[in-house]
Parts: sequence; C-alpha cells; structure tokens
Amino acid sequence: MKIILVDDEQKFINMLAKRLIMRGIQADIAFTGEDAIKKVRDTVYDAAVLDIKMPGISGIQLKKELKVIDSDLKFIFVTGHGVASKSESNMIEEDLYLSKPLDIEILIEDLNKIIKNG
Amino acid sequence: MIKINQTFIKNFWPTFHNHGQNSHLKSFYTFTDYWRLWVLSVLILIATALLPLCLVTIIHYQLIQKSVDSELNLRVERLSSNATNAINFFMEERLDALIFTVNEIGYDKLTNKRKLDEIFKNLKLGFGGLTDLSVLDTDGNQINYSGPFNLEGKNYKNQAWFSESLGKKYFISEVFNGYRDLPHIIIAVRSVKPDGSFFILRATLDTERLFQKLTSYRTGDHADLFLVNNEGILQTPSVTYGSIFEQTHLILPKKSGNRKIVETPPKKTDLFISKHSFISTKIVGTPFILVVQKKKADMMHTWLDLRRNINWTVGISTVLIILVISFASTFMVNKLFLVDKAKAETMLQMEQSHQLASIGQLAAGVAHEINNPLAVINQTAGYIKDLFSFKDEPRNDEEILEYIDSILDSVDRCGTITQQLLGFVRQFDIKIKKVCLKEIIADVLNFHKKEAEYRQINVSTSFPDIIPEIITDKGKLQQILINLINNAFQSVDEGCSINIIVSWITMGTIKIVIQDTGCGIPEENLVKIHEPFFSTKQGKKGTGLGLSITYGLVKKLDGTISVQSTKDVGTAFTIVLPVKIQEKELG
Repeated sequence: MKIILVDDEQKFINMLAKRLIMRGIQADIAFTGEDAIKKVRDTVYDAAVLDIKMPGISGIQLKKELKVIDSDLKFIFVTGHGVASKSESNMIEEDLYLSKPLDIEILIEDLNKIIKNG
Repeated sequence: MIKINQTFIKNFWPTFHNHGQNSHLKSFYTFTDYWRLWVLSVLILIATALLPLCLVTIIHYQLIQKSVDSELNLRVERLSSNATNAINFFMEERLDALIFTVNEIGYDKLTNKRKLDEIFKNLKLGFGGLTDLSVLDTDGNQINYSGPFNLEGKNYKNQAWFSESLGKKYFISEVFNGYRDLPHIIIAVRSVKPDGSFFILRATLDTERLFQKLTSYRTGDHADLFLVNNEGILQTPSVTYGSIFEQTHLILPKKSGNRKIVETPPKKTDLFISKHSFISTKIVGTPFILVVQKKKADMMHTWLDLRRNINWTVGISTVLIILVISFASTFMVNKLFLVDKAKAETMLQMEQSHQLASIGQLAAGVAHEINNPLAVINQTAGYIKDLFSFKDEPRNDEEILEYIDSILDSVDRCGTITQQLLGFVRQFDIKIKKVCLKEIIADVLNFHKKEAEYRQINVSTSFPDIIPEIITDKGKLQQILINLINNAFQSVDEGCSINIIVSWITMGTIKIVIQDTGCGIPEENLVKIHEPFFSTKQGKKGTGLGLSITYGLVKKLDGTISVQSTKDVGTAFTIVLPVKIQEKELG
C-alpha cells in the first residue's frame, strides 16, 4: 500500500509517516497542496490523507485536482475541527474523514477498507 | 369584582415606575423617562381638549352678558319711554286745557268768581288732576281764585315762579310748597287783557295724581321711577333716594334749550342701569327730569343662574376630560412601556446569545488550534511507543529526547492557546480600565492568524507614533473589534486584504478604521445594516444581530460608528471613540 500524507503540520505528518512505515505502509509526505500535486504526478498512490485546512490550496480543492491527475486515488480527510462545517461535509460525504488527534490504528483500518472497496 | 379591579389597575394605573432596576436592560429601552412621557402626554392632551372648551365658554359668557345687558337696556328704555310719554301727556293735557280756557273764556269771565268756579269744576270733570285755578294780574295780586284753599287776595309778586311765568307765555313750575305748604306744581298761561296789559291764568296740579302715575309704571321691586329738577332735587318720592325735596346728587344731563324730548342713553353702573329723560310738552319745557333706575344685580339672577349651570357643566366636563385623558395616557404609556420592556428584554437576550455565539465561534477556532498540537503529541508519543514495541532497536537517547521535546513544545502551544482563550473570555467581565489599542487588536487578530494564513488574506495594521492607550470598557471594545474583524474575514475572498488603521482625530478622540477589499455592501443595504435581524448571510451563521449589537456597544462607549462601502470594492467601518470614557454606570 502506497499512500501520501498532506498537511501543513510538519511534525504531525513526519511522525505519522514514520509510524505508518513501521507498520509496512509506504507513506510519502507533502506539506503543501502544490507539493502533493507534484508527487501524485510522479508516483502512483493508493490513497491520499488530506488535511482540510491548509494555507493555499485547501484539502477539498486539492482532492478535486488530484482526482483529475489520478481518478483511482482514494481519499481520507483529516480535520482539526471536531466536526466539519456544513459545506465541507457536503463535499466529503462520500469520503471518510477523521478528526485530530487521530488514532493510527483506525487510520490504517480505514485505509485498508477504502483500498479494498476500490 | 376583585378581578375587574386588578384589570383596571393593570391597565390604567401607572406600572412603568418600576422601570430601571437593571441598568443593562435599561440601555435597551427606547424611552428613558416614562414619567416624563406620561406627564407630557397628559399635559398636551389636556391643553388640546380644554383650550377650545374654555374659549367657547368665554365667548358664550360674553355673548350672554351682552344679550342680558341689551335686554336690560331695552327694558329700561321701554319703561322710561312709556313713563316719559305718560308724564308729558299729563302735563300737556292740562296745559292745553288752560290755554283753551284763556283763549275761549276771556279775562272778564275769568275774573268772575262764580264763572271761575264753574270752569274749574268743568276742568276737574274733564281732565282731573287739578287742585285749584286762579287769575293773577301783573303785580302778583290774585284777582280770582277757585279751589279748596283759602288763598284769595294773596300776592305772589315775590314768589320765584310768578316772575318767571310773567316773562313767558306758558310756564310749568317745579314742585314747591308755596303758601299752602303742600307740594304742588304750577301751570301758568299768560294772556292779554282787553286794555292790552297781561294777566296770568294759573292752575295747580295735583301732585298726588302724578305720583300715582309714576308708581303705576313701577314694575317689580327692582325698578325706581322718580322726577328730579335740574339741580337733582327729588320732585317725587324715590325708593332709592328718599322722600320729596331730598338732594339725589345724581349726575344729570344738561338741559338743552329746545323743547324736544332729550334722552340720554342708559347709564350703567355696577349696581343699576339708569336712564334720564327730560319731560317737555310740545310748546314749553318743564324743569323735570324723569329718572328710571333698575337694579342690575336683581335682574341679573337669570344670567347668574345660567352662568352657574355653565360653570357646573364646564367643571364636570373638565374633570371628566382630565380623568379620561389621564387614564388613556396611563393605558397608552403602560402598553408602550410593556412593549418597550419586552423589546429591551429580547435585545438583552439576543445580546447575550450573540455573545455566546461569538464565544462559540472562538471556541471552534481554538479547538482547531489545540487539536493540531494534540495530533503532534499523539503521533510523537505513539512513535516513541512504537520504537519500543515494534523494533527492538537500540535506544537512541538523542532521538527520543528530540521527540519528547517535540511533545513538550506542543503542550506549550496548547497551553498558550488555552491561556489566551481564558484571558480573552475573562475580560468580558472587566469594566472600565486602561486598554492598549495595539495589544487588544493584536489579541483579536491572533484568533484569525491561521485563517488568514489558510486563505492567504493579507492583514495589516497601522498605528500612529504615539500608540493610543484609552480608558474604556475593555470587554465591550473587544467585542466590537471581534464582530467587525469577523465580518471583514467573512466578506473577503482569498488573496484580499484587511487593513486596520488607528489614528488620532483630536487629543481626546481616536479613530479605528477596519477596511477590507471584500464583496462590499450594496447601497440599498447600507441603511439597514445596523437594524436588528438584518442579515445577508442566508443559510449561514448570520443572526442579523452582529452589527446591531456592535452599534449599541459603540454607543455605550460614547463613540460613533459609520460605514462606507462600495459593492465589489470593499467596506470600511470607522469607529470614533473618546480616549477617556465618561464615568458612569455601564450596562
């Protein structure tokens, strides 16, 4: 399984990536949307874990752009807000979203679920 | 009955006096002084209602007074005219009879005692009112006499009336006593003897008959009719002035030379209306003036009765009007007060709920801010745990220390945020104190730092060289700034900018401009934005209270707020605040 983590909280995704790698998941990281687009163009990923609120391109916008590049890509959203706001939840209702701080086991479980379903 | 009483008291008894226990609530009332409102309403209504009533009453009074006066005058006039005619006629009749006698009978027969007696008898039968009849020569000797008194051979040369009658063809005297020592009037006619010299035919009038004639015109108790001579001496008895020959001291009209009946208009004094008219026959004047007096007060009782009735009606109407107006005003002001109170309570509730909402918004932002470091802590701690459980790697103390530092760092971040939040929320309670504008604006902007970063909004602040410190209610100022800055953030798109410019206006006032390059406010909405419940954020989080509350808060800080906006160009809110707020109880 090869995934990409996108979040501006660098320490957070560093740690998360390290822990996922320990669990046998190939995890790349990107701190900005632009970086993520570049990486998705170069590499084929099974899933992308996106932070909703990011400087520049937001998670939701990023999903649209990534979907254009790789239509098979699966998404999981991560948000610092307890609940995503109404307009946000409309956008992501077909996707999973997890709130911060997140449990790595649940993330892996969800990743497995969406990749298997696809 | 008790229920009716309660309803009455509730509606018509002032219930607005308990107004103002809560000074915060008070600040939402539209009217501050309900008693003043009540008094004003009562006074204006009473003045409007009573002024025409009083005017009409006064006009009515004057009209009645006038008509009563003219009625009084008319009566006096009529009475005077009737009595004057009667007296005139009485005199004239007798004078004419005498003239006829002189012309018809001739001197020779008149000097005959028997003939004179016969003539006198016939005159008495025909006309009446004569006491005696005599013939005098130019020396005043009584040549012939017919009558009940023993006056034969008397000489009248020294009597005033004789010399006067000698000078005139016809003569009517005043009332005087003369030889007989009884009040009488003389009518004398001068004629010519066959030898060419004068003789005088004199008749004495029965004054009793004259008195009776006058008395017959005296109608009611309030009228007084009497004769006076030119000197104001009574010629007949008067009710008011006493018996005959008394001095009346009346102010009399001057006797005119001609023989026409001269009348004076009725004179009005406080006590009575009087009219003087000269008694005069067609051919000769008399020394008599007929005085008619009517007591005013007695005749006025009709008018006084009427006036009493009017006074009662006006009085009762006035009391009724005042009562109705007072009750109506109380009812109105009570209702107004209740509506205003309900409005104030709603506004207070709304302000509180809005305050809660803005704190809620704040909390959401804070949660986001805290969740990020928490996620870092979570992952870092998880990683350390993984290091021990997954790989049995040799312990790299340095790396672990780094991770623990990272955890501590994130905990610090959380701590800072919660401290900030606490400090912020606590300030909602603090009353007037010294506030540094730069700090407070920085505090508010702090909560939007991430949002600005995410949305690439350029936030800039500008302060004058001397950074203003103002003495005001910090909580309120903070809320004003939160509301306006929130609005600015909501109205701008990505890449826009928000500028906050603080500058001095005068030494005592400062201006804060919050400017954005957002969507702007359409002109038709500009006038409505401070109205409660006006919102264009349809379906979003707008309650329509933000600006209305902000407006109220600025007013409470003795400041003013204004807005300039151009659609699609941007909006600028300008707040002008005093540097030192007036010491007063702030709600």
